[in-house]
Parts: sequence; structure tokens; C-alpha cells
Amino acid sequence: MVSFSPPPSFQVKKSVWTLMAEVHIIGQLSGTSGFPCASLFCKWSLQLGGGWKVVEGVSEGQTQADQSDTGNTSTWCHPIDLHLSTRGIQGWPRLLLQVYRQDDLGRVDLCGYGVTHVPTRPGHHTLVCHTWRPVGTFGEEVRRAFLGGGPQLLSTEFIHSSLERYRLHTIAAGLVHLELGIILRNFEKYGVIY
Amino acid sequence: MSVSSPSVFLVNVMGQIECGRFLNGDNLRFHCCFTAGHDWEVVTGLEEFMSQTACRSDDERQVFVWNFPFDITFKSTNPFGWPQVILSVYGTDFFGNTVIMGYTACHVPITPGKYTRRLTTFVPESASTVQKLLSWLTGRRPEFLDPKLIAQGRGREVTRVRSQGEVTITFNVMMKDFTKFGYDCGATGKTPYLAVQPQPQRSVTVPSEGQSEA
Repeated sequence: MVSFSPPPSFQVKKSVWTLMAEVHIIGQLSGTSGFPCASLFCKWSLQLGGGWKVVEGVSEGQTQADQSDTGNTSTWCHPIDLHLSTRGIQGWPRLLLQVYRQDDLGRVDLCGYGVTHVPTRPGHHTLVCHTWRPVGTFGEEVRRAFLGGGPQLLSTEFIHSSLERYRLHTIAAGLVHLELGIILRNFEKYGVIY
Repeated sequence: MSVSSPSVFLVNVMGQIECGRFLNGDNLRFHCCFTAGHDWEVVTGLEEFMSQTACRSDDERQVFVWNFPFDITFKSTNPFGWPQVILSVYGTDFFGNTVIMGYTACHVPITPGKYTRRLTTFVPESASTVQKLLSWLTGRRPEFLDPKLIAQGRGREVTRVRSQGEVTITFNVMMKDFTKFGYDCGATGKTPYLAVQPQPQRSVTVPSEGQSEA
């Protein structure tokens, strides 16, 4: 694991090298497009590597459920404001997204999973995250179309881990739109270019 | 402007809330407020204001134009809690009652420059069909008690909304002393750091063996 440590020949006070690099993520989960169902909400969470720490902000949440009038798009306007500090660039933060739909009876059904890396370049970014959902047998799909309740992942590890994905059989779901602004601090002091 | 090491950075936001597009309703006006975190403070400018009442345009655009200017300056030591603008749009429905037409919120852009944002607005949904019919007849639609709720992430999971309409806002953002704190927001035109000019080095000649200093 690459971590920041002072080169041995450099004579400098120890206090300078305890400066952590910081990342601010300021933006929102805008909404969705392309999902074939209405009344969608999203459970989002931030996935960090071991060297990272959340200084300020909430690292997970759930958006409102939007029953949209405007075609097949939903609007969430869910703000994300996070202040992170780190000693290394391994484990750069990722956002895990789980999109569910809520019907009139209050039942919750899975619509899609997605993961997107937080951008590494400072500035404003408009991100589009493609989502997918697990596909069952023909009988399960027919049942899902009429009654709801298709296969879901038991653990969110399958969303962000690259190791176990080969076990899954999935189908595409809609798109999640995010607007994120990134502010970086002290990265150039460690020689990291972005 | 001082060149000594700064204790706060300033963010100046100005722009206009240009227009809105809504299918239903007429005589629209909005209430707008800026909200920010604990480390932020307003230096100058109005934090909350109310617009004029705008009628739907007669042409094929069917747009509500406010062209409402705002100009506000914040100071802070920490980008956490970056300011957000929250809009609550009110209008009259078919029966002439003043009802909520949409809420929306967005962060002020974090990089200096000019931006045009089209924000989709949403209204809270009634809990049941009977309540929906009653609210439609009496004109008392569900509203948020405190519009600042939509600038937060907490407590949103229990809200059910319906999106309708959109509002266009233009932002112009300038910052002072932001990069002196070590932050990089991706700004392309960097202001040159005003430092004391280094004294020109005088060349020193060391006399080699056999030569005098003269």
C-alpha cells in the first residue's frame, strides 16, 4: 500500500509531514432516467479504503421517493457534502447506489445497483451511473413482472468488489445522474498530480 | 486587499433566477433562501427574499419570467457546508387558492465562473388518495414546514414527492483567498500570488589562486 512518508534525506520538522491530504465532495444525487417504473428512491453509501477517514458529513443516506409526472425521469435533489482526509490514494472513495421503487401499498422492490468512483480531478462533474439488477429464471422474471420481488443481492459487497462479480447474471436497469463538485487539498505537497 | 496570510476565504455568488416552466398553475412567485454550514457566515447580501408575481407568457413558450437578481458574499474557513440555494415556488391553482408549486435546491457552484442550472422542482405527495382529493378541493396541499429540509440529507427517506416543473438559475461565482488555504477547486485562471518580490542576487566572484580581488 502506497502511503505518504517523508524521504529520509529531507530535514524537516515532523509537524509538516502530519498534514493530511483532504477531499471535499459537494454535490447532489440529481435523479434518474430510463427506469421503467415510477416512485423511485435510492439508498446511497460511501465506500472508503482503509487509510481514509470521514471528518465531517454523513456517509450514507436514503433519498426521497419521487413519483414523477415527467416521463421516465425522477428527481431527488439529495445533497451530498463530505469532508474526508487520507494518508494515501489507495481506496479512493466510491459511491454505492441501490435504487428501489415503492408502490402505492408501501412495498419496496429492487430496481438497480450501481457503483461509481468519486472523480479525482477538482471541479464540477456531471456523472451518469449505469445500474443493473440480477436476473432470475424465466419463471422468476414472469413473477417479478406481475407480483414484484425479483432476486436481490444478499450483501452489498458484490456491488463494489471486483472479485466475486463473475458469479452474477444481470440485466441493465436505468441511469442515475449525479452532480459532484470536488475540492482537493494538500495533494501536490505529496507529489500527487491529478 | 491585504497580502498577509488570510484567516478566511470569501465566496461571492451573484446571478439571476431567470424563469420557470410549469404545466399547471398561474401567478407564480418564489421564496428563495441561501443556507450554509456552521463555519460559514454572510458578509454582505440578502439571505432570504421573495420574488414578484409572474403570469404565464402569452406566446408558445408558456414560461414564467422573474429575472430576479441576487448578490451575496460568504466567508468561511472550511468548504464543508458549502452554501446552497433553496427555492419554494407558490402559485394559484384552478380554484384560485395559493398552493405550493415546487421546491428545489442546489449547491452554489464550487468553481469560479458562469453557470446556468435547470433545476427540476417537486411537491410533497399526500399520504392517501382520499387526502389527495380533499387537498385538491380545499386548496390545502401538503407543504414542508421548513423548506430547509430539502437542503439536508437527513429525514428525506420519509418524504414522498412528485416532480413537476423546472426553474432556470444563472450563477456567477468569484472567490478570494481560496487557493491560499491550499484548496484546489479546479479553477483554470489562477490569480498570481502576491508575494514580496525576491531581491536580485548579486553575482559573487571568488578569486581563484593567483588572482587578487581587484
